[in-house]
Amino acid sequence: MHRLKQGEVNLGTSIMAVQFDGGVVIGADSRTTTGSYIANRVTDKLTYLHDRIYCCRSGSAADTQAIADFGHYYLQMQTQVMGSAPSVLTAAAIMEKMCYQNKDQLSAGIIVAGWDKKAGPSVYNIPLGGGLFRQPWAIGGSGSTYVYGYCDATYQEGWGKDETVKFVKNTLALAMSRDGSSGGCIRMCVITEDGVERKFIPGDELPRFWEGKEVLGEATRKPLAALSTVSDVAPMAVEV
Amino acid sequence: MDPSLRIVPASVPKTASVAETSNSLGLHDTLQYGPRTIATEMKTEGSLKDRLYNWEETQDNLKLTMMRNTYGLHAPMRLLMERRIVSANPHMTLLPQTNLQLDILMGRDESVEAADVFAGPLSGPPLDIRQDMEKKHRI
Repeated sequence: MHRLKQGEVNLGTSIMAVQFDGGVVIGADSRTTTGSYIANRVTDKLTYLHDRIYCCRSGSAADTQAIADFGHYYLQMQTQVMGSAPSVLTAAAIMEKMCYQNKDQLSAGIIVAGWDKKAGPSVYNIPLGGGLFRQPWAIGGSGSTYVYGYCDATYQEGWGKDETVKFVKNTLALAMSRDGSSGGCIRMCVITEDGVERKFIPGDELPRFWEGKEVLGEATRKPLAALSTVSDVAPMAVEV
Repeated sequence: MDPSLRIVPASVPKTASVAETSNSLGLHDTLQYGPRTIATEMKTEGSLKDRLYNWEETQDNLKLTMMRNTYGLHAPMRLLMERRIVSANPHMTLLPQTNLQLDILMGRDESVEAADVFAGPLSGPPLDIRQDMEKKHRI
């Protein structure tokens, strides 16, 4: 169930969704790999389900696209019948039912997030085998394992939109810098009652953290700073 | 099929049965099909074949289940009733059979597929009309 079928395209990913006071911020990296070849380096993993409900996809690209298509189809029918926008719980529940009933054939981890009139902003995490978990913030994909500590240490309740965007940006940048199957650029959506705002951060504008330096052999290398302490000494005259 | 949100057909467990070569008493019909062999009884031949064979039915079932969830129990029942009404064919089993009404209901009236072009009959003229009629009316 976890293994990709032969020839399948992997969405090995870092995805995340965080709820704040007036809405949710969702974000994802942009890399899709087939083995070690990057099939698409500008993928959009934030998929439209309804006007204020989006899902972040991780796992097999084909499986998650199929589930997202059927989720979108179902929510359109619901909107027709009910006459109003569906709630995020409805969207998350239908995605979870499909993930669970097809669990022997699928490899899909999905985060559904959005805003609805009844519950306000919400984030639902649907991990690999099905199961529905509502959380204030959720991370997923292969890159998420590297940033659980950072998220636990940094997240605070009561943030506004800008702090949440900064949190998502930093977390994804850290995950992308350590995970081989995540990378490219960061795509984010801010979903509020008024609309959906897309943000794009190209690869050269990602926040940078400690990038390491070479420590091996440092003890035998002459440090440049030592010369400046004896700068008042005139160079010795040498006979050629 | 049961209401289910399966997107692709499940892999079927391996089975063997005498059903296809059985006579009216339920045993293997040696007079018609020859001595009984395991090769004729094996029913599962490979997951790809089952997957392709059940594909349309599974997709259809998914859509009907979603309709049931959205509109109520009556919606898929009405659709299936209409399909059954339209498939009720009182004629004898002649070879070329086209059912335009069923094509329209199944949504394939505006597409041309390989099966429509290479439409030769799978088997020759009916050897035993009475047996065909028995199968059709499930006697």
